Amino acid sequence: MTDKELTPDTPAEDRKIGVYICHCGGNISDYVDVEAVRDALVDEPGVVVSTTELFACSDGTQHDMIDAIKEKGLDGLVVASCSPKLHQVTFRNVAKRAGMNPYAYTQANVREQASWAHQHDREGATEKVIGLVRSAVAKTRLSDELEPLRFDTVQRSLVIGGGIAGLRAAIGLADIGLEAVVVEKAPEVGGWIGRLGATFPSDASGKEQIASMMAQIKDRRDITVYTNAELTSKAGTFGNYTVGITLHREGGDKELSLDVGSIIVATGFDSYNPDEGEYGYGMDGVVTLPEFKEMIDAAPAVGRLSYQGRPVRSVAYIYCVGSRQEAGGNEYCSKYCCTAAIHSSLLVGKVDPSIRQYHLYRDIRAYGKFELEYGASRGAGSTYVKFADDAPPTVEKLPKGGLGVTVTDLLTTSHEVTIPVDLVVLVTGMVPRENKSLIDLLKLPLGTDGFFNEIHPKLRPVETVVDGVMIAGCCQAPRTAAESVQAGLAAVAQSAALLKKGYAELEPLVALVDPEKCVGSGECLSVCPYESITMIEWDGRKVASVDPSTCKGCGGCVPLCGVDAIDLLGYTDAQMRAAIEELISVEGPIVEAVKEPVS
Amino acid sequence: MDYDVLVVGSGIGGMESSIKLADMGYQVLLVEKEASVGGRMILLSKVFPTLDCASCISGPKMSTTINHPNIKTLAYSEVENISRNADGRFNVRVREKAKFVDWAACTGCDVCQTECSVAVPDQFNADLAPRRAAYIAFPQAVPKKAVLDRAGTSPCIAACPAGIKAHGYVSLTRTGKYEEAFQLNLDATPLVGTLGRSCYAPCENGCTRGQVEGTVPIRMIKRFVADQHYAEADGPGVTAAAATGKSVAIIGSGPAGVTAAWQLARLGHKVTIHEAQATAGGHLRHGIPAFRLPKDVVDADLANLDALGVEIICNSPVSDLQALKDSGYDAVILATGASREAAWTVPGAEAATVVSGLAFLKDAAASQAARLDGKRVVVIGGDVVAMNAARTALRLGASEATVVAEAAKPGALACNEVEYTEAVAEGVKVILGTSVAEISAGSAATLHCVPAAESTAAPAEAEDSESEEGAASAAAATSAPAAAASTLAADVVISCPGLEPDDSLFAELAGVGNKTRIAANRRSLQTKAKWLFAAGDAASGLSTITRAVGSGRRAAHMVDRFLNGQPLDGFELDSKLSTTKHRDVLGRHSRITHRDPVTGAVNLVTNPTDFSEIEAPLSEDQAHTGSGSCLDCGVCSECQECAKKCPAFAIDMSQRDKLTDVEVGAVVVSTGHKLFAADLKPEYGFGTYPNVITAMQMDRLLAPTRPFNTVLRPGDGKVPDRIAYISCTGSRDKTVGNPLCSKFCCMYSIKQNQLIMGALPLADVTMHYMDMRAAGKRYEEFYVQARDMGAEYIKGRVAKITEEPNGDLLVRYEDIDNGGGIVEASYDLVVLAVGIQPNLDVEKLFADTPLGLDEYYYVAEPSAELSPGQTNIPGVFVAGTSAGAKDIVDTILHAGAAVAQVAAHLEHHHFAAEEALV
Repeated sequence: MTDKELTPDTPAEDRKIGVYICHCGGNISDYVDVEAVRDALVDEPGVVVSTTELFACSDGTQHDMIDAIKEKGLDGLVVASCSPKLHQVTFRNVAKRAGMNPYAYTQANVREQASWAHQHDREGATEKVIGLVRSAVAKTRLSDELEPLRFDTVQRSLVIGGGIAGLRAAIGLADIGLEAVVVEKAPEVGGWIGRLGATFPSDASGKEQIASMMAQIKDRRDITVYTNAELTSKAGTFGNYTVGITLHREGGDKELSLDVGSIIVATGFDSYNPDEGEYGYGMDGVVTLPEFKEMIDAAPAVGRLSYQGRPVRSVAYIYCVGSRQEAGGNEYCSKYCCTAAIHSSLLVGKVDPSIRQYHLYRDIRAYGKFELEYGASRGAGSTYVKFADDAPPTVEKLPKGGLGVTVTDLLTTSHEVTIPVDLVVLVTGMVPRENKSLIDLLKLPLGTDGFFNEIHPKLRPVETVVDGVMIAGCCQAPRTAAESVQAGLAAVAQSAALLKKGYAELEPLVALVDPEKCVGSGECLSVCPYESITMIEWDGRKVASVDPSTCKGCGGCVPLCGVDAIDLLGYTDAQMRAAIEELISVEGPIVEAVKEPVS
Repeated sequence: MDYDVLVVGSGIGGMESSIKLADMGYQVLLVEKEASVGGRMILLSKVFPTLDCASCISGPKMSTTINHPNIKTLAYSEVENISRNADGRFNVRVREKAKFVDWAACTGCDVCQTECSVAVPDQFNADLAPRRAAYIAFPQAVPKKAVLDRAGTSPCIAACPAGIKAHGYVSLTRTGKYEEAFQLNLDATPLVGTLGRSCYAPCENGCTRGQVEGTVPIRMIKRFVADQHYAEADGPGVTAAAATGKSVAIIGSGPAGVTAAWQLARLGHKVTIHEAQATAGGHLRHGIPAFRLPKDVVDADLANLDALGVEIICNSPVSDLQALKDSGYDAVILATGASREAAWTVPGAEAATVVSGLAFLKDAAASQAARLDGKRVVVIGGDVVAMNAARTALRLGASEATVVAEAAKPGALACNEVEYTEAVAEGVKVILGTSVAEISAGSAATLHCVPAAESTAAPAEAEDSESEEGAASAAAATSAPAAAASTLAADVVISCPGLEPDDSLFAELAGVGNKTRIAANRRSLQTKAKWLFAAGDAASGLSTITRAVGSGRRAAHMVDRFLNGQPLDGFELDSKLSTTKHRDVLGRHSRITHRDPVTGAVNLVTNPTDFSEIEAPLSEDQAHTGSGSCLDCGVCSECQECAKKCPAFAIDMSQRDKLTDVEVGAVVVSTGHKLFAADLKPEYGFGTYPNVITAMQMDRLLAPTRPFNTVLRPGDGKVPDRIAYISCTGSRDKTVGNPLCSKFCCMYSIKQNQLIMGALPLADVTMHYMDMRAAGKRYEEFYVQARDMGAEYIKGRVAKITEEPNGDLLVRYEDIDNGGGIVEASYDLVVLAVGIQPNLDVEKLFADTPLGLDEYYYVAEPSAELSPGQTNIPGVFVAGTSAGAKDIVDTILHAGAAVAQVAAHLEHHHFAAEEALV
């Protein structure tokens, strides 16, 4: 490393930039003359290393880079390879490990932007790569030493929702030394599960599960549960949010302010409420699955299942009510209901094995070990009737009393049959909970299905685009209780990963207002989606100021400033201008074509 | 405590667990049995329902894992044992498997892989395509380092006394690298052509292919590569190392002497061979007749020495070893062989009609032997000299050649079985179990024969010796033990009393050991005169050429160490692994294609008349077929190509497994799952019909790093138009013992359906399913999307698949949606949506406290609902499919749940420790 401090004003030829051009196996070198690129960069001002690598991201090459940074005193690094999404962090870490400022690293995306895009034009692709790499070098030359923003994290998390996921998360947080505060809107904790008797697949009582957790929580000082409470405000950034909680109490609301490091949203779901007449809903004897489950839970261990005082001798379950609907309805599958209905039928069989049970389904989604429940239900005498997606059953009152369910059974003769039953159970799915104020407050995006959206449905299922705000359980998507518990605990793990080491670091790539230039128009405030810009007093006048802890570096404010008073660190106007200049200065057909106005 | 947590397995569950724990600040030891982290996810094409490229989202995770400051990753390592201590911590024994590559030096450049001559099924391509024995797991491997797949030392290599990498040159020949094969032989000895003819090939006795149809013709392949080289090249193509300034004298230019000279000269030492005879080669020149070893082959082999500047001084008998040493040598190797005939005390042996076998052969070799036209020749003795003499006598015109030997049966003869059978085939009469008591002189000698002492004392045993069977039938007519005293008339008697070292030269300086061998350390071959080493028959007594070569090589190595002042013990000359067992090799191959054995053609005629070589060479085709039948017992053939070509000099064949014991506070088991072995559903024809593949294979066909760069059917490479999926293969199926649903197969099938429709826009994709289990966020929508794209979904099980002559497949299925009839449809390619099976390896992890498994052998979670990931052992957690079917997001959540509790466990112990302090 050089002793002198580097600034954007360091003359280009005084910079020491290493340029690594990656073959990416053959992904790049098959379509681009990487040696020509290397040669074109060798004499660029400030470039002291220009070399090609089979895989720049390989461990071996990373070590070579570290050696070069140390031995040649590199103060800038450019890797021409894949998308920065893939390896920007990798190479920044290389710089960091070598003691170079990681923000003097620039990745030139020559794979997605050149080799893959121009597989049939080697010359053109090569020319474009030279332009992209020169452009990256130009940007790097003007790089400044930036330090990440470091701040202490609050060792406390807020859990919104006191259902099974939220309570388990609270205990999980406290178990690892993070204080937990649970905010439950209802007068009682427990959510859906807290009202249930035996649940699948273990027959564990939902009520008892919640009770056992509450017994634990009662004795712990590191968990506080507020019922009849709501989150009403949120400020700050991840690791250090300040939240306002309103406690609805007799005699008036009380306000509470708390510092928390993370927020776990576990607000659960609503059960689908069929329309009047949907599969006969509203008729005497047509109930939803939750209603039916209440009946079962109220029934004696062995004896008679009764509905409004009448014995139930036969039940028809109609699956996928409110789920897997045509476009415009709830197109999603609610996942838990097949097994829940199957499990209910097993419970019914225990109460009174003589009850005839018919399951009218489309696909039985008893996935994984739930398949055993499905097998057990068939073994216990339940009859399964598959109907076509486009031919749902109909429910009507039979003239001699009771209900008739008419369906075309694909599994037997494909003939239409009418099954007389005492009770029709609509196997209703889950719908997203109405939660507008919370959604607005937390700025959580919703999916097309109305449930909260995660950052990545595969690899980051509990994280949201808002750092430090996690989602767990059925507020993200329909699932079982056990799966909700897993998500709750996964959110705990994610909270711990953010908070446990006691501090957090934020990228320093944020907007910076030059108060000298700022004329205090306040225009930038209106476009900042993160409310990071405020007006402050400076030298006796009002100027804009960016809070680096909440600024995301989106750059939205930069072009809006009429006096060029805002710059984005790491992507300064000067850097971007230099990068563009280099890019368009390359001679060749592609650049010419771009320069040529379209006729 | 060495680490807070041990994570076993680095699939997506293990990586997620490790990263989360490391982010929390815990020190994590991650152990992965393969050479790269990443597990199965990195091998997938894309993932449902986002259709993200699996590499692109898994790769950064792999990178984060390996570079995390709080994670120590041990790839290519296995946890041998975990035991729980009284204090609740765990003692873990980790086996870091030998990689045979120095990972600190390896740059992942791929050269070893390119040069490797052994192909094995690629587990990272679901066995669709081969990988090499030297391999980098896959292109996106992290760390990107090569390993050498070695299952042991191949039996052929283990059997070679000369230290020649037999498997290596066979595999090089198979890949057409004849010169490299020749050079690999040269690494051991310059006598490649000679050994290609005159070696008894102990390697072939060890050959696993020999347990099937017949051995790989290893010796003949050596001869083939030698012939190829000598036909095309001048000189060995080898240069010596820079001169060391040391000089070594070698006495004797037989196989031991020239091999020692070759080895030392390559190392840069100046070597002079002193040969007492007028020509070089020892027994190779004088003892083995030209019809078995043509002299131009010996000349060519010996010429290799010239290229390295070895000086062979003929007619230069040495009589004083000390004087020789003092004439300017730093060391001397005595390699005078077994050059002396044993004393022979038969009355009448001094008669003029009696000649020495050795002298006879030497004269014949020099074309100085008199013709024996019409003469009756009797050879006394049963060794190789006797057989060679008798056969030479026939070629010199003898009317009959009779061997009289004391051995009671052919197997007891002091020669190799082949030498006996060939002699008999050429018309040599062999009289067994007979001693010559006296020779009466006259114009013709009369031999007075008596039953040999041993044959009377021990009558011939029942024919139970396996080596005898072939020989016995050919020999029956010509060999009859003398039942009683008899006489035999001979015009010429050739005596072959056996050979032994001539101890007159060394007796004084070095001492005489057993019989007349030189007294030398058996391992170091050093004598009590430190500068004097011995090699070959002089040190071992009469042996074989190949052993002599090995001995010469050893002596040279020892002399080199001696000259460099290094100790002569504490190292292995040929660092070998344990020899691969035949049954392991045969068990490893899922199927062994029948190969007719390639054998050499030996032209054996009765009463031969000339000295031309009797064995025909292998044609190039035969060499290919023969080498192609090699089963690659040790996997790596030790052909050395990787070692020679590695730009980083990273290949290290001396690496061995390393055991490490560590203490950890908690354990996460994330060993993942296996996939259902589709051949257990024989009605679907997997393994029999090449165009029935598994979904994992299809994922490889669709992946960006796919083996064929397109989707094709393996049977004939045709791009398929009609593709069928069979769901629930091995799932929800009590007939294979698995009633469980595997959960991910419906979804990955739907994903593949979409990808195929993208890759092959004209292809029809049909899936035969039981229930479409698209249960999960955006899964149903993904299913609807596939249907909208045109994939067809038919409810009903498939009963049977049969193959049509053109490779198409006739699928017999139930069509529930359309009345439930039994229908047949023809497809180009059938993909079996194989389900999940438990990875039984977890059972072996815990020795003391058994890890609880459920009735389907997944890791049991006793409180799955509120404490998912907890096992029966406090402090041991399970993440991912080790505990049952999960897709990727399920695994991520499950791992998250597990690590939250791992952290709780560690905190609890942490607090307990602090309280104890107070």
